[in-house]
Amino acid sequence: MTEDDILKGIEEAIVRGDKERSARLVEESLGGVDPLSIIQGGMMPAMEKVGDRFSCGEIYLPEMLMATEAWNEAMKLLKPKMLEAGESIGKIGTVVIGAVQTDVHEIGKNIVATLLSTAGFEVHDLGIDISASKFIGKAEEVDADIIAASAIMTTTMTYQRDILEHLVAGGLRDKYIVLVGGGVVNQKWADEIGADGYGETAVEGVRVAKELLSRRRGG
Amino acid sequence: MVSFPEILERATRGPIMSPKDFDMKVFIPKVREVVENYKIRYDPGTPCPADDDLADRIYQAALDLYADVGTYVIDTERVIQFSREEIEDAVYEAPREAYFGEGPERCVFKGRKPDDSEIPHCHVGSGTDTTEDVALKMVEAYGRISKAKTVSIPSVTSLGSLKSSAGSPVEALAGISMMRTGREGLRRAGRPGMGIINHMSSCAQGVSTIAASNPQFGARPSDGWLIAPHAELKIDHSSLNQVAYLTSWGANLGQEAGPIMGGYAGGPEGTAVVTTAYCFHGILVARAIYHLTYPVHMNYVCSTTPDMLYVVSTSSQAVSRNVGVPYYALGYAAAGSATKQYFYEAAAYLLAIQSSGIGIEDVHPNKAVVTNGALPIDSEFTCSFGHGMVGITRKEANQIIKRLMETYLSGIKNPPRGRILNECYDILTMRPDDELRRTYDEAIRELRGLGIRFK
Repeated sequence: MTEDDILKGIEEAIVRGDKERSARLVEESLGGVDPLSIIQGGMMPAMEKVGDRFSCGEIYLPEMLMATEAWNEAMKLLKPKMLEAGESIGKIGTVVIGAVQTDVHEIGKNIVATLLSTAGFEVHDLGIDISASKFIGKAEEVDADIIAASAIMTTTMTYQRDILEHLVAGGLRDKYIVLVGGGVVNQKWADEIGADGYGETAVEGVRVAKELLSRRRGG
Repeated sequence: MVSFPEILERATRGPIMSPKDFDMKVFIPKVREVVENYKIRYDPGTPCPADDDLADRIYQAALDLYADVGTYVIDTERVIQFSREEIEDAVYEAPREAYFGEGPERCVFKGRKPDDSEIPHCHVGSGTDTTEDVALKMVEAYGRISKAKTVSIPSVTSLGSLKSSAGSPVEALAGISMMRTGREGLRRAGRPGMGIINHMSSCAQGVSTIAASNPQFGARPSDGWLIAPHAELKIDHSSLNQVAYLTSWGANLGQEAGPIMGGYAGGPEGTAVVTTAYCFHGILVARAIYHLTYPVHMNYVCSTTPDMLYVVSTSSQAVSRNVGVPYYALGYAAAGSATKQYFYEAAAYLLAIQSSGIGIEDVHPNKAVVTNGALPIDSEFTCSFGHGMVGITRKEANQIIKRLMETYLSGIKNPPRGRILNECYDILTMRPDDELRRTYDEAIRELRGLGIRFK
């Protein structure tokens, strides 16, 4: 089997969300193929394909999550080898994401987190019901580029504003790109509270994240 | 039926599971399995199927799903489980009628059947964000629509300069304020006994709901309280607290659920099954005697695309044919209020649900995210449609929906913003301006041309 065949097999396994197969193929290939080549030549194209299919509604969240699990299984095997070889996967940025204080709705936030990961971001998902200080504390800890806050209800979206006000109060406002989203959130609200970006959908949120980060870096 | 104390027992004694395992190892695989086992397929060419066998397969799939999955309790990280027999027993015992309101406004909300020739329950209003200055006028305008049987009152997120946040004291005050506003608005409309059945849309937290439900602020057990789950098939103590309080008071409880198409439920087939399964959760866990469903598209955040119409029509048929409880659906239009596209989307949604045998409610414009976006004319449209289209069959509805979709589907991605209440109504008289009246009349004329009757 050629290296191309192996990478193709890994790509297919991840696209299909077959974590056993993706792990087995990665394990079998480790002797002959460089870990970074496996990631860049097989795994990343798979996640790009999954992201594209998700964006155009060909697949849904379950398929996306299964693909992510297959990716994670493969990564468990690859990470130690990469550490040994002193290699690392490039990331395009770091995001701290969560649902705001008192908001326990997580599906939308989970979709955005998954899509951000597949787009190459390092994602720190804090979960649900996260206070402004926890968002900021984590962002400081991991040196994040972006804070992404989800709120699904009119009575919880006000906590998105809290994050911005805490950042201002702490003299940290310019340090982070703040993205907001969620069922009731719209561009008007994002503008009103001074957020940097808003995505009506998960796909749109990722596009905005990439665009704002690139702009900040002068891209 | 399994008693409420027994539900609470299971909530604290049921199997322990992490939320991730519930989603990934239990919920998702089971949804996929039942969709496959019952051969449930979505046909984009048939947004409103007239297929009794499909509806019954979706019902059976939902039974299988709920018997295996149950309801996850977020606070205890345990699963409330039911046997298939217990679910069927609950369905058997669930009331087929709910009574709302007082005196001359007292009404009965009954379960219907697909292709039913009875007038559907016409519910009007909106619990969407509304500014305090127009909320009273809005409720009064809803109350003046004589064909409306029950009403939703607005949600406010500001009281003067105070901004409401979930769990904050302002939220409790906002709930109390809207409770009083609701009663006063209906009194002004001459219908003080009308049942308000969306308590408490201003409150996200159970504690605020309970505070605002105190009878001294105007709440009555003959109103209705909506108990919300978390997606998918999860509940928390905040909601269970509301159930505990309200059942102790003998109040009407309803369950509201908005499964996300494209989320954990997967595509339209899985979402139809999950939407149906929420009915079992509602009867057993939320102790609901009426049910509101509002499945929504993950990407478009509306419910008037063909796959969403399939979800709401087939799940409604599954419930109306096999359960028969009071059940109604709320749609979200992509288009903003006061636009022709809104009325076209609303007509398509109302066709799907009325012919599928359930009650109707105003389709909310602008995906329900615009403050003061809901208009009283939307409610007039709903009631006029509901009475005019008595006897509409699913087959006829499907044909008209397909023609309607030709006119609005291209506008779903970038819908017209429309105008909010303050921009198209005289707030003093609550009359629409000439432009809105023209838009409405034109839309009605064109919809009549497509075979829709209004009364």
